[in-house]
Amino acid sequence: MLAETTQDYLPDEAQPILSVRDLRAHFRTDRFGVKRDVKAVDGISFAVRRGEIYGLAGESSSGKTTLIKTIAGAVRPPLEVVGGRVDFAFLPGYGGLHRAPAAEVARIRWRHLSYIMQGSMNVLNPVRRLRSAFVDFAYPHIGGSRKQFEREVVAHLARLKLDPSVLAAYPHELSGGMRQRATIALATICRPEVILADEPTTALDVVVQKEVLGMISGIRREIGSSVLLVTHDLGVHAHVTDRLGIMYAGRLIEEAATAEIFRNPLHPYTRHLISSLPRIGDDVPREGLEGAPPNLADPPPGCRFHPRCPLAMEVCRRQVPATLETAPAHRVACFAVNRSEEA
Amino acid sequence: MASLGQPVASVRTPRSGILGTPMSGYFAYIGRRLAQFVLVVFIGINLAYVITHATPIDPVEQSISAVTSFGNTAPDAIEQMRTSLRELYGLGGSPVEQYLAFWKRILRADFGPSMSAFPTPVATLIGRALPWTAGLLAVSTIVAWGLGSLLGGLAGYYQKSRGLKLMGVIAMGLHPIPYYILALVLLIVFGFLWPVLPITGGSAMNLPQTLTFDFVASVLQHAILPALSLILIGVGSWFLGMRALVSNVVTEDYVVYAELAGVRPWRVLSLYVMRNALPPQLTGLAISLGGIFNGAVITEKVFGYPGVGSLLVDAVYAGDYGLVLGVTTVSILGVSCGVLVIDLLYPLLDPRVRVS
Amino acid sequence: MAGILRDLLRYHAEFRIGAALIAVVLLLSVLASFSPYPPQDVYVVPPDVPPSLTYWFGTTSRGQDVFWQLTFAIRNTLLFGCTVALISRILALVIGLISGYKGGWIDRALMSVNDTFIVIPLLPILVLFYFVMRDRMSWLLLALIMACLGWAYDARLIRSVAMSLKSREFTQSSLFSGMSTREILVQEHLPYVMPIVFSTTMNNMVWSIGLEVTLAVLGFTDINTPTIGGMIYWANQHTAMVAGVWWWIAFPTIAVIMTFIGLFLLAVSMNDYIDPRSRLRSFGGAS
Repeated sequence: MLAETTQDYLPDEAQPILSVRDLRAHFRTDRFGVKRDVKAVDGISFAVRRGEIYGLAGESSSGKTTLIKTIAGAVRPPLEVVGGRVDFAFLPGYGGLHRAPAAEVARIRWRHLSYIMQGSMNVLNPVRRLRSAFVDFAYPHIGGSRKQFEREVVAHLARLKLDPSVLAAYPHELSGGMRQRATIALATICRPEVILADEPTTALDVVVQKEVLGMISGIRREIGSSVLLVTHDLGVHAHVTDRLGIMYAGRLIEEAATAEIFRNPLHPYTRHLISSLPRIGDDVPREGLEGAPPNLADPPPGCRFHPRCPLAMEVCRRQVPATLETAPAHRVACFAVNRSEEA
Repeated sequence: MASLGQPVASVRTPRSGILGTPMSGYFAYIGRRLAQFVLVVFIGINLAYVITHATPIDPVEQSISAVTSFGNTAPDAIEQMRTSLRELYGLGGSPVEQYLAFWKRILRADFGPSMSAFPTPVATLIGRALPWTAGLLAVSTIVAWGLGSLLGGLAGYYQKSRGLKLMGVIAMGLHPIPYYILALVLLIVFGFLWPVLPITGGSAMNLPQTLTFDFVASVLQHAILPALSLILIGVGSWFLGMRALVSNVVTEDYVVYAELAGVRPWRVLSLYVMRNALPPQLTGLAISLGGIFNGAVITEKVFGYPGVGSLLVDAVYAGDYGLVLGVTTVSILGVSCGVLVIDLLYPLLDPRVRVS
Repeated sequence: MAGILRDLLRYHAEFRIGAALIAVVLLLSVLASFSPYPPQDVYVVPPDVPPSLTYWFGTTSRGQDVFWQLTFAIRNTLLFGCTVALISRILALVIGLISGYKGGWIDRALMSVNDTFIVIPLLPILVLFYFVMRDRMSWLLLALIMACLGWAYDARLIRSVAMSLKSREFTQSSLFSGMSTREILVQEHLPYVMPIVFSTTMNNMVWSIGLEVTLAVLGFTDINTPTIGGMIYWANQHTAMVAGVWWWIAFPTIAVIMTFIGLFLLAVSMNDYIDPRSRLRSFGGAS
């Protein structure tokens, strides 16, 4: 059975389970004489509390997938961590999984930190049955006899409304929704403290999406895991997340409780995102933002949003705005907003 | 994708056969592979027919004059040859009759008497030579494919390893070399420079062909050089192929996921990476069987190995049409069978085989 | 396409080595025009002379200068390979593009036939061909036959490129803008197909020259036109190895190995360039 982990930290409500501080991760390439340094994650800091569902929103090139990869320790060339740290409450000291020794990493992976990947289409080994995934991922942590383990797996699957027969199936024999359920079952069976979910509902139809989101909320209820949920879909965030961080061009530009973000967005980019959401009964024409997200290999100086920002000032071109707590539990990185608050 | 279209909330039992695919899908697959097999053999033998009938000269008389030029064949033997050849060539009668006569003979595996070893039937000669070729090919192909795939897989996964990188360079050097050249080099090395291995024959001449230890040992000894020639080039090719496949497979989501889940590297390598690279590698084997057979033919000739390859070449020199046609037919059949066997094994490795 | 070649030349070691080898081989074949001896003539120089300053690669037992024979042999061999490659390119492109683009039953029928030609062992067929042709066999005829038999493998590759192009967005927009099938194929798809055609051409040449050498060595071709295989054939006829005339075999062998490795490296480096994943993989981190 699952053993209780011995922890040498205080089970303190206030202490975050995951804390990211000034993290910088770049893609560095040198091919055919051309050097590129893509600053996918460029100075991000935030913390996730226990039992909280924290959302990260942003467009495709905002760097959120890279951020998730870095937190999960999937750092391989050409991706490099060039600064900052990632600290888990259950893995103090190293500053990130990519720096921890292999034994620690093996201890952590799946037992304390698991991962729900984007597009469940391809995350399961196509040539082996589903059972093998559970045996490979979870059995080393849960242990006990195989029969006992199988019983536990079946019980867990039942919670997610999956028939035990799926264990004998190959991934291609399951529908998309079933695969996603199976993946969630796989990610939660060891009751990890932190689950990283990268676009868990993309490419699923709306009905299945709703069920998956229900399952994710259920995870928090039943197991008490924290979930770091990354998706561009603000509707998903509105549905399940407690707090929401908005990313733009590799930086975290706003963070607050989800309801607060929707009610009172402060950063110009966030305001635009929120105002562009369709609302029943509201038929005001939507305007697109000018320009396009910046090229992360050669980003604009200062605030990355300034070329497209209606509030851009001279200082925005020269300096990077600091992330300040403008309102209670509401952080924003914008000179215009913070100055007006000061004034 | 085998979705049965049932609502997600309710439970569905996938109807898997032993091999993981719905049984109906597997039978359909076998059916298609068998149909392809028949098509290949049909087209191949028709090709042979077309070629032999494209010639502007009378092949029968040419063959007969080539063989009887030694002057010591009896007249009725010549007549027998002539009838047999005319039928085999499908001469005489209308084009349709010729075609049918040709096929009748082929289906009976009756290629007539061999002219170079008259009156031994061609079928007998081929029957004697076939086990040698089959043995040589089977062993060298399996060893080369197995070893090459294993090393190539490791090289694709452990991309920093210097030893494996070096192997890659060697493989790149070996792979494009034609079989003949390597056989020649081995012949020179082991025939002239360092004569420790026999360079001709299938076994020592003085041993009877029975399953005694001496005979078997001699067979193995004589097989070393031809097999080595085939294996060296094969390993190079399979190494490169597997390495490329594995390099792609490691970037697949399910491999990354397994690694992120903390599955041990050797387990990921064998069960997630190699297992998924094997199906296309097996397909590659099926595709290359024809080329490997070609290599075997020339290798047999270089080393005087008594297989169908040597038989073919000698038959051409001797102008023995029946034998040439016989070996050609048997080769087409043999290679197609090999491909069929591989095709039938494929679903064992890849359960996604579907009813397209 | 020229840009790709230039990039490869500058940054890809394998391509440079391959190009260098092929350059040497091409140089040799060009030199054939300067040969003081006509290629078919025999006994124009003293036979069996080892490599020396007068006869750089030595002479054969038939009284020919190995060096000059080799230049003709290389030239003919290369010409042979190019001819086969050219004709089979046309066949492979036509069949591959039609099959990939049209799909449906045309695709299935073509691919069944295609797979047949991949599986059939070609050497016995070619041997049979030689058997019935005998003295009428010329290298042009052989090239034609090989091209008609050897398009299958590449047709499949081109077909898969065509299939992936068909479903891409720019094809859809071309369709909607009213371009005809032929126009789409030529103007939109061909630039993507060209690098694959390049690498398959190299592979095809390796294959055809290899097969030709094999046939010639056995004496199953027109042995009077000098080719690499032909040289080795004559060397064997005169039992060169036993007689100690190693240079007669060694130099053609080295030349053909250079050709093969050169062509192979060109093909491999072009494939590397095309495949974006291999490009990404060779990034080992910044310098």
